[in-house]
Amino acid sequence: MTTTRGIDFAHLSLKDALDLAVLVEEEAQERYDEFTHQMKTHDTPEAASFFAFMSRNEKKHGDELRARRLELFGDAPRSVERAMIFDIEAPDYDQARAFMSARQALTAALASETKAHAFFVAALPAIQDPKVKALFAELRDEEIEHQKLVQAELAKLPPSEDLGDAFADEPVAH
Amino acid sequence: MSNALPVVDKKFEPKDFKSDLKPIWCPGCGDFGVLQSLYRALAAIGRPAHEIAFVSGIGCSSRIPGYTTAYGFNTVHGRALPIAQGIKIANPSLLVLCAGGDGDGFSIGGGHVAHAVRRNIDLTYIVMDNQIYGLTKGQLSPTSPRGLKTVTSSLGSLEDPVNPLLYVLGYGASFVAQGTAADLPGLAAIIEEGIRFPGFAFINVQSPCVTYGEDEWQIKEQRARMKSLESLGHDPKDQLHAMDLARAYGKELYTGVFYRNPAPSPTYDQLVLERQKEKGASAPDPARVLDSLIQR
Repeated sequence: MTTTRGIDFAHLSLKDALDLAVLVEEEAQERYDEFTHQMKTHDTPEAASFFAFMSRNEKKHGDELRARRLELFGDAPRSVERAMIFDIEAPDYDQARAFMSARQALTAALASETKAHAFFVAALPAIQDPKVKALFAELRDEEIEHQKLVQAELAKLPPSEDLGDAFADEPVAH
Repeated sequence: MSNALPVVDKKFEPKDFKSDLKPIWCPGCGDFGVLQSLYRALAAIGRPAHEIAFVSGIGCSSRIPGYTTAYGFNTVHGRALPIAQGIKIANPSLLVLCAGGDGDGFSIGGGHVAHAVRRNIDLTYIVMDNQIYGLTKGQLSPTSPRGLKTVTSSLGSLEDPVNPLLYVLGYGASFVAQGTAADLPGLAAIIEEGIRFPGFAFINVQSPCVTYGEDEWQIKEQRARMKSLESLGHDPKDQLHAMDLARAYGKELYTGVFYRNPAPSPTYDQLVLERQKEKGASAPDPARVLDSLIQR
C-alpha cells in the first residue's frame, strides 16, 4: 500500500525529487533482497532468482539516479528521508508466498511497477517546478517500460502452473 | 514531573535498527510489516540502539528482538513482561520494549499482563495477535474465535476468545492501541506514540499467520475492512467509549489509539527512583538485602 508522509509535492525541488527517487529505488531493492532471502530459505529457487534479478534492476536505476544527483548537486545535504515514503515501488509483504511459482513472482513484480506508476501519476498534478515535473514524467514513463519488461517475461512462461496456497503445509483437522 | 521521552535532534534511519540477522518467518507473514514499522518508529524516536532493550517471549513473533540492533532478550514462554519490568526498574534510563504473540501474552503469560498494567512501568508491550499458535503448527490460541477448527479443535472451538483490548482497558491501562500489518505507516505512528507515552503502553497488532491463519484474517482482507478510530470521531481521552469500541474485537478491525490517559499517573520506575532519593543514605545496602531475607 503506497503511502507518503510529509512530502510537499508543490514545493519539491529538483534535488529533493532526485533524492526521493533514489530512496524509492533503494526501498524496492531492499524489499526484493528480502524476498530473495525468503524464497531461498523456503526452497523456492525460481522465485528467488527472479527477485534477485529485480533487485539488481532496482539497484541499477538507483545508481543512475544517484549519479545524476551528484552531478547536479554534489554532496549537498538531503532534506527528504526514508520515513517519508512507504512501499512506493517495493512489493507489499503479503505478495510473497512460500513455494510461489515464477508466474506468481512476476505477477507480484508487475503489481509493484503498476503501483509505482500510479504514484508518479498521482503526484504529477501537484508539482509546480517544471524540472521536477519533467523528472517525474520521465520516471512515470520508465515504470511503463518496466511493466512491459515484466509482461514480456510473463509471456515467455508456460501456461499457469500455480499450485496456490493449498501447496503450503496447512493443518488438517481429523 | 513528566518522564515522557524527549524529542532528540539526532537523525536516525530505519536501517540503523536493522540487524544482520534475516527473518525466517514464512513469506507473507504479517510480522515482516510489524518489524518494518518498528524500524520506522525507532528512527523517529531517535534513541541509539544501545539505549534500547527489547524483550520477547517464545513464538514466531518473539523472534523480533534479534532482527533489531537493540539489546535483545528472547526469554522463556510467557515471561517477557516480568523480565522487561525488571530491566526497566534496574536501569530506568533504558527504553524498554516488550513483544510476543497472543499465546505468549494472554495464555502462558496472561497473569503477568494485569500486574504490568497496574504497576504502570514505563515500557511498550507489542502483541502480534494472529489468533493461532503458528510456530507449533496451528493450535487453538487464546484469541482464536469460537468455532475455529484447528488441529486441537477439530470440530470447532467451544470457547470465546480473550479480548486483549478490553482486558488491558479493564485493568486500567493508560495507553491502549491497535494496529495492523495491513497499514504499515499507521502502525509505525502507533508504535512511536506508544513508546513516547510516559507509562505502560499496550499495542495489539493484527498480524496474520499466512500458513495457519484463516483466509479472512489475511492482510488483503484486513486492508479492506480496517477502520481508523480517528475516522469514527473517537476521542482517545474517552475511556468508556474506548471500552465500548474494544468490545467489537473480532468483529470489527479498528485501528488507532483506543485510550490515552490525559493525566497519566507516575510510573512505578519513577516512584522507585523517588523513594531511593528520599531514603538516601538510610536505604539498606542492596548487597545485604538478600542476606537479611535468608537469615529470617
